[in-house]
Amino acid sequence: MPLDKTFELVELKNISKQFPGVLALNNVSMDFRKGEVHVLLGENGAGKSTLVKIIAGVYTKDKGEMLLEGSPVDFKRIRDAQEAGIAIIHQELNLLPERSIAQNIFVGKEPEKKGLPGIIDKKKMISDSAELLQRLGVDLNPNTQVKKLSIAQQQMVEVVKALSRNIKLLIMDEPTSSLTKKEIDKLFEIIRKLKSDGIGIIYISHRMDEIQRIGDRVSIMRDGEYIDTVDAKTMNMDEVITKMVGRKIEQLYSRRYNAPGKLVLQTNGLCGLRFRNVSISVHAGEVVALSGLIGAGRSELAKALFGYDPIEAGSYTLFGEKVTRATPKESTRRGMAFLPEDRKAEGLILQMPIKNNIVSASLKKVFPNFLLNNAKETRIGEHYRREMRIATPNVDKIVQELSGGNQQKVVISKWLASESKFIIFDEPTRGIDIGAKAEIYQLIDRLAGEGSAILMISSELGEVVGISDRVYVMREGEVVAELKRDKLSQEELVSWAVRGAAKND
Amino acid sequence: MIKLFSPKKRLPVPGIVWGIIFLIIFFSIIRPAKFPTLYNALLILRHSSVLIVASIGMTMLILVSQIDLSVGSVMSLAGVITAVCAESGMPLGVSLALSILVGMLIGVVNGTMVAVFRFDYWISTFATMGIAAGLALVVANGQTITVRSDFFNWLGNGKVLGIDFLILLVAVLVAGMLFVLGKTRFGYNIYSIGGSAETARLSGIDVTKNRMFVFIGSGFFSAVAGLMLAAMGSSASPIAGADYSFDAIAAVIIGGTSFDGGKGGLAGTVLGAVLLRILTLGLNLMGIPPTWQKAIIGVVIVAIIVNDVLGERRRKTNESRRVYSNV
Ligand SMILES: Nc1ncnc2c1ncn2[C@@H]1O[C@H](COP(=O)(O)OP(=O)(O)OP(=O)(O)O)[C@@H](O)[C@H]1O
Ligand SMILES: [Mg+2]
Repeated sequence: MPLDKTFELVELKNISKQFPGVLALNNVSMDFRKGEVHVLLGENGAGKSTLVKIIAGVYTKDKGEMLLEGSPVDFKRIRDAQEAGIAIIHQELNLLPERSIAQNIFVGKEPEKKGLPGIIDKKKMISDSAELLQRLGVDLNPNTQVKKLSIAQQQMVEVVKALSRNIKLLIMDEPTSSLTKKEIDKLFEIIRKLKSDGIGIIYISHRMDEIQRIGDRVSIMRDGEYIDTVDAKTMNMDEVITKMVGRKIEQLYSRRYNAPGKLVLQTNGLCGLRFRNVSISVHAGEVVALSGLIGAGRSELAKALFGYDPIEAGSYTLFGEKVTRATPKESTRRGMAFLPEDRKAEGLILQMPIKNNIVSASLKKVFPNFLLNNAKETRIGEHYRREMRIATPNVDKIVQELSGGNQQKVVISKWLASESKFIIFDEPTRGIDIGAKAEIYQLIDRLAGEGSAILMISSELGEVVGISDRVYVMREGEVVAELKRDKLSQEELVSWAVRGAAKND
Repeated sequence: MIKLFSPKKRLPVPGIVWGIIFLIIFFSIIRPAKFPTLYNALLILRHSSVLIVASIGMTMLILVSQIDLSVGSVMSLAGVITAVCAESGMPLGVSLALSILVGMLIGVVNGTMVAVFRFDYWISTFATMGIAAGLALVVANGQTITVRSDFFNWLGNGKVLGIDFLILLVAVLVAGMLFVLGKTRFGYNIYSIGGSAETARLSGIDVTKNRMFVFIGSGFFSAVAGLMLAAMGSSASPIAGADYSFDAIAAVIIGGTSFDGGKGGLAGTVLGAVLLRILTLGLNLMGIPPTWQKAIIGVVIVAIIVNDVLGERRRKTNESRRVYSNV
């Protein structure tokens, strides 16, 4: 592709970055242009976040050069990058829950009163926030405390926050992983508008369907190295995926359906925080999906089953045992495992090594007689590192230092290690690369084949249709439909999930 | 359309105000002759004022999830430095300035250890607590020193337009710091760092520098509080401030600033300090020995924390319900 220099925004030359034990970036060269959406693709741990953090001044590069509009820059502090017009929306939410939306939008760059340095002009801050929110079509009151917002709304606040300065480059690290369809549409609308204003955008996502919808060029990274750049509109998806994971993915969804076995879970008129009157069943060897919009009460149901949230009415039977009050400890004993949606807060001890996290739900195995069996702990850890392809030199690494997707793999390993017979997966593939997705589907299939009962919450319609035996659709806290495999289609799911939702809008 | 500024803005009466009212009524019933007097009201205010100043720094620190254990010993040290210097003929103003400078210096030491080198704040400020306490004993030669300066005495006991100078001073300091915390970039940064140091850092805020300032501020206010305490009695004891670190932490927590960081503020601390002093005086009047008073105050703190946690849980549950309707 010929490159007109006037469109050049950022050019990276031979960037390298070493973390203890990991060469996160190895001689990466890339260029980003004004007015383009440049998608970064790569497996978990490929170095995408590291690369954009270097561009945004969060990390300093070890080697290499960065040019901004043709002139070399070397950001030593985040502030330098901000002042040069670079904004980043990180993979994880970075908000102050106790503070208002306005305060979050302007954190660190609050407007000052004229002639009074250091004194904040709160009125201006609020009116500017209101204007920004309105301009971007986000219907929120700037005085609302951020902790009162849903995750999706918080993500939109992050977007507004990034756009509250004059920027030349906007970096988005998996912005859509917790957005609903409505907000994704809004975000894409904003992105198109930014593009037409000549702003460059770097966009990281594991959702392949988004690439062609929003991307202009796609760059692929693997193991810290730059592989290739292709045109988003004309690219061949299979080729791109092969480049990304370094092998061919024959089949994303693999499922050998077996005849369902004994009844494992049966709920009877279960009510809780955000769901009512739920009666569902799951049999051994079955994969049952809970479909619906984010906020339909699916995660709350799962949490109540496991015992994180209270059951307010009704009961359930698990392996023939009647349960009216669940606690996580009791549930684990009964053979239930729960892979929560918010892995950081609910599934991992970030400061501990990988292997400790992996065995943390099956401590009996490593403490056979009150003494830690260290070798066994490492063996189990290593087993799942290979099986789940966790990108790490060894299992002694602190979980915090893993890439986002690899942290997810650790939580999954933790519950697999517990060898439970009833497993709830809440959004099992969120933020996970396509290669690992295929592996997780295979794994779920294997577990079902071995007679485990699986309840999966998923907002990705493709995987719901691709691997489930049966689907319950939830809407506003109630189960509104039960669909068998032969009746499954994405259209059918969507129409059940949103029916009647329009009038609430 | 955007819905701006919801008109319904109820000002909730914070639980602590009820606590204060309850204590006043309680002690007035138990000790009707002794407790509800104007004299006692003034006494409480005067004693609260020292604690309030000592707690200003602690409020900022706890807001950014840190603690300074050296507050009490810095108070003692500041008092004895001024006393010794003034008694050896140095002008009072210079002695006062010197004390405050030493206080801020200890703040710099704390800040360097905690903010710059990332040592644990418990250990670091525990160390400076010991150093300052030791220095205070050395400087005072282990004795209480009387200050024979009329002006110093006036600072502690004089009145301006019929109001204690000390109380006016505290009012000015508190008003100033309320402004700093609520309206300035520094104050905003403190709340941001407290909410999440990582978020603050990623937003371009210099976390180290701001934490450093907070520790220096703590040293400054500790020294001022120590001088106030000395001025009230026209004398400085090398252990005068001994209980103040504990009391300041208590005032901040009772006042609703939480260790979670980024939550609470100075107004609550002022009320917390007043509540604590009402409690102390009331317990004194009931003849309960100081040793027991500590235990009782401890129980009060636990009760408040338990109440906070339970309240927070209720709120969370209600919130998750509330969101339901407008998904
Ligand atoms: N702060 C850190 N300390 C040590 N190692 C790190 C750190 N941050 C990242 N790494 C390592 O660098 C490599 C690249 O991580 P990075 O976060 O850039 O991956 P990614 O491409 O963003 O993956 P994902 O899709 O999972 O978010 C990983 O092996 C990770 O373990
Ligand atoms: Mg990443």
